[in-house]
Amino acid sequence: MSVVTLSRQLGSLGSQVARQTADLLGYRLVWRDLINESALRAGAPSTALAVIDDLGLLGISLSKKEVRAFRKALRQVMEELYATGNVVIVGRAGQITLHNKPGVLHVRVFAPPDLRAERIAARQQISLENAAAQVEASDKNRRKFLKRFFKTDWDDLQLYDLLINTAHLNVEQSARLITQALASLPGMDPAGSFG
Amino acid sequence: MPPSSHKKNPSPSSSIPRHIFSHPAEEAFATILDYYGVEWEYEPRTFPLERDEHGNITEAFRPDFYLPQQDLYVELTTLRPKLSTKKNHKLRRLKELYPEVNVKLFKRKEMRDLLVKFGLYDQAAKIAGTKSQNLAP
Repeated sequence: MSVVTLSRQLGSLGSQVARQTADLLGYRLVWRDLINESALRAGAPSTALAVIDDLGLLGISLSKKEVRAFRKALRQVMEELYATGNVVIVGRAGQITLHNKPGVLHVRVFAPPDLRAERIAARQQISLENAAAQVEASDKNRRKFLKRFFKTDWDDLQLYDLLINTAHLNVEQSARLITQALASLPGMDPAGSFG
Repeated sequence: MPPSSHKKNPSPSSSIPRHIFSHPAEEAFATILDYYGVEWEYEPRTFPLERDEHGNITEAFRPDFYLPQQDLYVELTTLRPKLSTKKNHKLRRLKELYPEVNVKLFKRKEMRDLLVKFGLYDQAAKIAGTKSQNLAP
């Protein structure tokens, strides 16, 4: 049983890398359902929207009680996923909640801001200026999420085992790198199972 | 799903049936949900709040959106204090009668500014030039 957590920046192609990695490994891909399930368990469903709201478009403010409840529920859901194994977890503090757990590989996918803005502009057919604003807001809000919920710096390199810059590596190459790194973890057998 | 439901769509310029909305702010909100890939249904349920002696519904509340993945109803509220007060009263009543129902109020002012900033101009322009939302029946 093993787990990949994947933290990514908007426009870094991290989502595509996560999908491709899950396909290559035959693992389940867990994404938004992690947030929704945690929010429902916390009894604060609007927390899910606040967490999803990368750009701050909805302007939802959370109480300390909601933050605590969500954090606790998120940890529970994450632990359950870890116990089940064979899963790629995208975003939402997997690199913190499952830090130092055996059989878990923590990946960060990134790219230069200018390149990310170009990708967003092309994908959404918006101006480069608007795309750059999205990139900036997303970085800010994702950083803020980890700070507020876990008092942790998103950019702390100690949180990650593998850093991938998609300025030079495509989605396929990135996913293959992840599978190779996962197989190289201590205790992993060649088939990718944790021993 | 009812006819007015909408599954997640990764593109903000998706083919949402825009004609179903009674206010541009609702359309903008749907655009944001689509941007984030959040499933939504538009006005799928009416909650009776008061009945007369014959059992006829005299007051009801119909939230603008239901988000099935979050099990959350969303009501977009006007910034006009008078209408806000009425809506808040209905929401309080809703929570009394249906404590299991999750409802969240959103003000639309914040949405407009950010839609402009992030390139969703069409929706922002519509919000800017319209009157406040009428209360649901």
